[in-house]
Amino acid sequence: MKRIYLPLILFLLLLLEGVALKLLPPGLVISDLLITPHWVLVFLILVSIFYDREDTYYSVLYALLFGLLFDIVYTGILGVYMFSYALVVYIVHGLRRMLHGNIFASLLLGAVGIVIADIFIYMVYTVVGMTEVVWADYLMTRLLPSLLANWLFLVIIYPLTVNKLTDWGEEQLTGSKSIL
Amino acid sequence: MSFLRKKRLFVLLIGFIVLVVLIGFSLRDRENLTAVEDFLNDSVGFVQNIIHTPVNYVTGFFSNLDDIRDTYEQNELLKEKIAEYSGLIYEVQELREENDELRSTMEMIDSESIRDFNPIQATVISRSPEQWVEQITINKGEQDGVRSNMAVITAEGMVGKIQTASDYTANVQLLTGFDQLNRISATISREEGQDINGMIEGYDEESSSLMFRIIEESEDELQEGELVVSSGMGGVFPAGLQIGTVKEVVPDQYGLTRTALVEPAADMYDINQVIVVDRALAEDDNTQTEEEEE
Repeated sequence: MKRIYLPLILFLLLLLEGVALKLLPPGLVISDLLITPHWVLVFLILVSIFYDREDTYYSVLYALLFGLLFDIVYTGILGVYMFSYALVVYIVHGLRRMLHGNIFASLLLGAVGIVIADIFIYMVYTVVGMTEVVWADYLMTRLLPSLLANWLFLVIIYPLTVNKLTDWGEEQLTGSKSIL
Repeated sequence: MSFLRKKRLFVLLIGFIVLVVLIGFSLRDRENLTAVEDFLNDSVGFVQNIIHTPVNYVTGFFSNLDDIRDTYEQNELLKEKIAEYSGLIYEVQELREENDELRSTMEMIDSESIRDFNPIQATVISRSPEQWVEQITINKGEQDGVRSNMAVITAEGMVGKIQTASDYTANVQLLTGFDQLNRISATISREEGQDINGMIEGYDEESSSLMFRIIEESEDELQEGELVVSSGMGGVFPAGLQIGTVKEVVPDQYGLTRTALVEPAADMYDINQVIVVDRALAEDDNTQTEEEEE
């Protein structure tokens, strides 16, 4: 039964992203800043650090699933979020053995992940012609504000979820055969 | 180890190919979504429908606080306007009667004009967090008569068109996300056949205005603040939907035509309730595809 919690939380975050722009003060939304919520990604990064073991890849699996769902529901261009989220979570999964699982490591990996994912999305959208923003503008109006906003989100959910994630991970993954 | 690394590279390459295929698939000019997308859109939309109510309540509370401060001034202003309107209502009624009379003398009583439409009320349940994709989701779909390419308006004016419709939800592409592929035939109304016709051809981020390319010039100069409305010639949208007001006129890069920068009448950022416009005048599919290819 507890196995359903993770997908449920991810689904909820995905839905909340759809109303995220309403929660911001209207002045911010109309301004040039493009603050993009990557809550699902932030949570997936925590999952990959604290829930997964070295040899299990549940976080990557969830990244593929929920990235695809994001593409279907919010953009209509399939594969972009799916691929970038999965790639980032996989990289984080690989990097985590170099760092201890604490708040500083999470912040660092979170920042790296958000930056890679968003730049990847920017590149793909530039190639397919969804956006024509030049690099410098992108950096100032989207990448930095999004990074800060998602970092804030990471700081908020870190204390709420980390212990739970570690517990669930130990409970559900010990003894089970590794996948992938 | 080298086997592992090879496997990893292999998976990455496959992933990349899948990505390119998926993007290529979704960038095709497609009218209908696949069944899987339809199903997911509907089920996500169902939950979003539940979630957006409390969120709206909370955000509504704060904007209400803001509103209360301006109430007095607004009230004064509105009273003045109402006084103006009562005169207008009388005039409209006269005109309507006259119009009906003329129509009946021309024996057009049953025919519907390109102005008529059936409104479908809908609520916005989410907005794409990816701000480069200007898309909102509404809680009405094909079951309620929503079809792709229908115009979507708010009380202030046009906001966009239906991009794809699932059974119980539909995605709306906002005017700010329009490009050359989604043109709207529009017009600036003048007296005695001096109308200025043209196309809304996209959105200019820098000046945050729509680009209205003028095809048929008029002798009078365009003036700032003139109203641009849809002309109904495109075959999809009814005539007379407000689009925006002219802000500035600039020559295009070859100096052959001119483009007017149009400020959208509707607020694209704070949309809660919309009306999907189902054009009453039916038309055969042939003309429609022709217009679109044009």
